Amino acid sequence: MKTTFDVLKDILVRDYELAPERLTPDTPLTEIEIDSLAVIEVVFSLEDEFKVTAGDLKEPFDTLGDIASYIDRLVAERDAAGPAATGAASGE
Amino acid sequence: MNRVAVTGLGIVAPGGNAPAEFFDNLVAGRSAVRVLPEDCIARLRTRIGAAAAFEPGTHFPAARVRMLDRVSQLALVAARQAIASGGVELCDEERAKVGVFFGTGMGGAATTDGGYATFYGEQSDRIQPYSVLMAMTNAAASWIGIEHALGGPNLTFSVACSSSAVALGEAWLRIKSGAAPMLLAGGAEAPLTPGTLKAWEALKTLASEDRDDPSASCKPFSQDRSGLVLGEGAAVVVLEEWEHAARRGAPLYGELVGYGLATDSAHITRPTVEGQATAMRRALESAGAAPQRIGYINAHGTGTQANDAVETAAIRQVFGAAADRIPVSSTKSMHGHLLGAAGAVELIATLLALRSGVIPPTMHLRTPDPACDLDYVPNVAREVRDLELAMTSSFAFGGTNAVLVCRKA
Repeated sequence: MKTTFDVLKDILVRDYELAPERLTPDTPLTEIEIDSLAVIEVVFSLEDEFKVTAGDLKEPFDTLGDIASYIDRLVAERDAAGPAATGAASGE
Repeated sequence: MNRVAVTGLGIVAPGGNAPAEFFDNLVAGRSAVRVLPEDCIARLRTRIGAAAAFEPGTHFPAARVRMLDRVSQLALVAARQAIASGGVELCDEERAKVGVFFGTGMGGAATTDGGYATFYGEQSDRIQPYSVLMAMTNAAASWIGIEHALGGPNLTFSVACSSSAVALGEAWLRIKSGAAPMLLAGGAEAPLTPGTLKAWEALKTLASEDRDDPSASCKPFSQDRSGLVLGEGAAVVVLEEWEHAARRGAPLYGELVGYGLATDSAHITRPTVEGQATAMRRALESAGAAPQRIGYINAHGTGTQANDAVETAAIRQVFGAAADRIPVSSTKSMHGHLLGAAGAVELIATLLALRSGVIPPTMHLRTPDPACDLDYVPNVAREVRDLELAMTSSFAFGGTNAVLVCRKA
């Protein structure tokens, strides 16, 4: 099964045509020219993939791994809230 | 006062992504007006437009494409061509003085349209985070300045269909007065989006599609003209102080010698003979040229009922008896109306006409309107001798009438 990071990597390769070999959890966002506004776009795609709803993204991300961890945290919070909350959490 | 040379040309427009290709198609009478793609016209009565054959992916990395509205993409590529064709290589000291004078009517229309579709249509809150930076009217000019690290004035003129003519004219004034050694000047427009086309349709100024040949739908000066056809594209020229150009051995594509501006203040859309004629007269005066010395007029010639008859009367008023001998053509019959980019695109057509001695035709002109009785070079290009001075006109909603005069170099 794909990890959150794998999904993130697929999105960056698809939408930003970045070379997959440049993308590791430790890759700094500045190195691949993903600025704070591009992060918002990437998170839009991740919200769809993982059926979660992101907050206002005020905390800055430094690496790709930070983004993946953030999504994992949202998934865990959603699951902890129980199946009844899934619909609300995914914004449906 | 300085003379102002045109030392670089760049264009991405319906019918050509380089000046020579664009002009050759005009001379051959090839219209770039087409039926637009289905996703663009699904809810429109008007199916036609003039698109540029332009794929952003061949010019920009994917991450950059996502930050640029199409209007900025077109503008950047036209500016790159202008700089390359002008052999422009600037040191840091020069970059600090060189600026961008640009025109666009609507700026990033696709971004605005797309944002509304997301917010109101899809009821989604996921607005593209770059929306403001993509849609702002000065985005195209700013990106040109960023790409070439230009520190001089970076100004965007937004006066509807006269935007780039005004940008060119104002740049000319700057260089003429000695305030700048070199400016990139031009304009861009990318209005072929469903919402933008719908708004134009609502204004009842768009041409009906020709039943037999959609590419022949724009018919300036013709009795059966039914309106304008929207087009997209960009054109940029390098304007340079004459001695500066000479010192560096720059290529000379022509000389900008006059600029006239006059505003109709009576109505938001209705043109006046007096306003257009005044702009032409002022352009001739600033060029120090008698009317009879003009050898070609690239008309505004939108193909609307209102413009073409008024423009004809204005030319008659300014040129008097000479009006019967001056070839006048509307290349919009082939490349459509590029709104804020029109003045710059048509300046390039005019400069290349001077250079080649060939006047591009007004296409689709089979039955002249009796109220349009000039020599419009109908349907076939014409070779002329001793072509030295030419005029190109842009008239806008809002009343801005802008006219440029250029000379063969």
